Amino acid sequence: MSENVIELSNVRKEFVTTKHDPGWRGAVKGLFTREKVTKVAVDDVSLAIQKGEIVGYIGSNGAGKSTTIKMMSGILTPTSGTCMVNGLEPYRNRKKNAKNIGVVFGQRTQLWWDLPLSETYTVLKEIYDVSDEDYKERMNFFEDVLGLQEFIHSTVRTLSLGQRMRADLAAALLHNPKVLFLDEPTIGLDVVVKDKIRQAIREINGKYDTTVLLTTHDLNDIEQLCRRIIIIDAGKKIYDSTLNQLKKDHGYRCSILFEWKELPDSEKLERLRNLSEKAVFEGQERGGKVTFNKNELSVAEVIAGVMRILEVKDIQIKETELTDIVKNIYQNRAEA
Amino acid sequence: MKKISRYMRLYRIFAVQYMKTVMQSKVDFFIGLGGFLISQAAGLAFLYLVFQQIPTMKEWTLEQLLFIYGFAQIPRGIDHLLTDNLWMVGWQMVIQGTFDKYMLRPMNLFFQIVCEKIQFDAVGELLIGILFVGRAVAKGVVQVTPLKVLFFFISMIAGSVIYTSVKLVLASIAFWVKDSSPIMTTAYDVADFAKYPVEIYAKPIQIVLMTILPFAFVAYIPSTYFLIDANILKTIAAECGIAVIFWLFSYHLFKKGLTIYESAGS
Amino acid sequence: MTKFFQVYWTFAANQIKSNFVYKGRFYLFIIRKFLGMFIYYYLWMAIYASSPSGQLGGFTRSEMILYVFLSYTIADIVMIGISSEIGKDVLDGSVAMNLVKPINYRLYLTSKALGVMIYRIIVPSVFIWAGLEIYKVTALGMAVSSPSQIGLALISILLSFFIYVFFDYCFGMLAFVTTYIFGMTIIKNAALNLLTGRLIPISFFPAVVQEIFSFLPFTAMTYVPVMIWMGKYSGTEALLQLGKQAIWVVLLYLLGSLLWKKIEKRLVILGG
Repeated sequence: MSENVIELSNVRKEFVTTKHDPGWRGAVKGLFTREKVTKVAVDDVSLAIQKGEIVGYIGSNGAGKSTTIKMMSGILTPTSGTCMVNGLEPYRNRKKNAKNIGVVFGQRTQLWWDLPLSETYTVLKEIYDVSDEDYKERMNFFEDVLGLQEFIHSTVRTLSLGQRMRADLAAALLHNPKVLFLDEPTIGLDVVVKDKIRQAIREINGKYDTTVLLTTHDLNDIEQLCRRIIIIDAGKKIYDSTLNQLKKDHGYRCSILFEWKELPDSEKLERLRNLSEKAVFEGQERGGKVTFNKNELSVAEVIAGVMRILEVKDIQIKETELTDIVKNIYQNRAEA
Repeated sequence: MKKISRYMRLYRIFAVQYMKTVMQSKVDFFIGLGGFLISQAAGLAFLYLVFQQIPTMKEWTLEQLLFIYGFAQIPRGIDHLLTDNLWMVGWQMVIQGTFDKYMLRPMNLFFQIVCEKIQFDAVGELLIGILFVGRAVAKGVVQVTPLKVLFFFISMIAGSVIYTSVKLVLASIAFWVKDSSPIMTTAYDVADFAKYPVEIYAKPIQIVLMTILPFAFVAYIPSTYFLIDANILKTIAAECGIAVIFWLFSYHLFKKGLTIYESAGS
Repeated sequence: MTKFFQVYWTFAANQIKSNFVYKGRFYLFIIRKFLGMFIYYYLWMAIYASSPSGQLGGFTRSEMILYVFLSYTIADIVMIGISSEIGKDVLDGSVAMNLVKPINYRLYLTSKALGVMIYRIIVPSVFIWAGLEIYKVTALGMAVSSPSQIGLALISILLSFFIYVFFDYCFGMLAFVTTYIFGMTIIKNAALNLLTGRLIPISFFPAVVQEIFSFLPFTAMTYVPVMIWMGKYSGTEALLQLGKQAIWVVLLYLLGSLLWKKIEKRLVILGG
């Protein structure tokens, strides 16, 4: 029986902005009247996350991801609804909540810009009242998984984006928070660094049982880290389930790539095209691709069918990628 | 008590960090210092040039006016030295959303803002202030008694609190209007009135200087009582009262503003 | 040629519009102007009330009222800073981008400053001037300024604008030397307050100092147009001052070009 670390019920957040008309008339008009526009950033979102989960929170730009995280971290107060993190309302108990959470905003840094990186950790140690032993133990751990020692004495200003992100991650974790919010932790990073960050998140989650909520545009992050995924669009939660379930629900399309031992003649090609009414065959240079619906045909059936026609050198099975699924969900929603 | 000592330790740590940053650009430090010294020099040159032409102004001699001028600079300098980062709240932090970073740390927010920066430019103001108060004492323009010395220090502290409170109110307005720096600069222009005897201004201006933006209580009113030795106790009590009221009000407004803080983007 | 004006006028026009966009800022802006003027108005009134002679530094009390308001409004429309923008561009590296764009950086900044000047003439200088002329006739019992006086003053104001902008362009080049342009600006403003006569008329200074000032461009920034407007200069004296202003425009323009060339060379070699 595990407890809910994060619990949002019917959370809504509105922003009020003023509208400015363009042109000379608009400019002068603005001196006397102002038109107010209300924008709903998060619309009636409810969700619950349990201890130790790593949850991917995804949505397009402006969907309300960051706004949700900012409410959970105590920066924003919801317009209505309640948001509980570790049994606290973050915006009411900001200081207490701050001790329980760690936050990394990919686009911003909380490091001391003009000083060597090590200085940041010394200050954070004091701010969060971390004991000497804990500090040593954790710094050693971060040095292992994040490779901080390479640049710990460099001025933050001179760090590369990847180094800075690793440093920021360590800064958010120094006080061993129960919950870690990551807003675009891999944005703009190259593949190697991305991998390192993911590895670190996994290890931290494993070692301290830290609950992680991350937003990202890179679905590889999700695929490699999360067992559960929540999708938000235009402020509304539109999907919340495990990654496997998502694939089961939406990932029914499958393709198999074949490489032939010897090139087929036109007769054999014709037989491949007529393999089944439920499958589509496309010829390729030294092989072919069969696409079908897994609910209608099994992988084994397709392979057996093809191998009856000609000899095969290599087989590759391609499940639908997460990107395609998410794209599909967005599109279906846009059309609906 | 434990809390206080924790915050004092934190302040020391932040101050040391800030010094390290400043040390990386010593030229900037001297530029800032020079800037404020030259501003002061211009104001003083004005007084000297005017007093070439007239013996006294509204019965105040040049020496007395210099005391008022110097007296006014000290609380302003203390406030400038310690809480200058409030400007950034009104000017940039709210509109750009960089205020977020304070919200994420388990520390008092006002403390975090203030301890992040020590504005050494203010040394220019403090130097001039101390110099001219000292000069007035040396020349016998003001008589020194132990009680007056005590009141002087109390007045300096209360005056700084008034300055800081006004600044905090104005910076907090940014939570509602996003960028309150135009309001802040306007208020600071008003503070310039207080360098000279308040009685030369029209009644409405005098009232503003004693109520909404009580800069008169920071400088002119207390300093004149040091000059003419009357009602000191009452004046200092009034100054302290105003400091307390303004502080409570400004801090309350700041707290209120935090609840409607919108960060940036969405 | 018309294309040329069209491009740069767009910069100016955008500047005017964006000044109107924020209602609060607009009204505060006006309040600030008046606050500054009134501090000095009251101060001078107190000074004249204490003066035995009624004439200080060659100014009567009535003239000083005119001086305070004219010097304040004229300084306000003439002294439009472009150095802070240069500082910003240098810090974020966009100044190197300007080497690529098909526009002249200085002209671009000048156009924007022109936009601000036009805005400030409308809000609220022109109204203060009108009020001042009315006040002059009704309350002070002086004659209204002649059209030729005002005409010459307006020309002088335009020259002052160019002197200041070109001066500030040179000043902005300091941004390549120090990152603390804010501190430098405080020094500059404090010095200019005194040197341009905005704080106190130049005639209050000792004769030697006045002599030195006449070889510097600063009095040409506000003191000259104010004196012309007030009719303190005779016809030929006024023309002579205008000529001097024109020379300063050219000299400061050339100095700016020279500095820019040096810096451009460094930019190309070292990169942005």
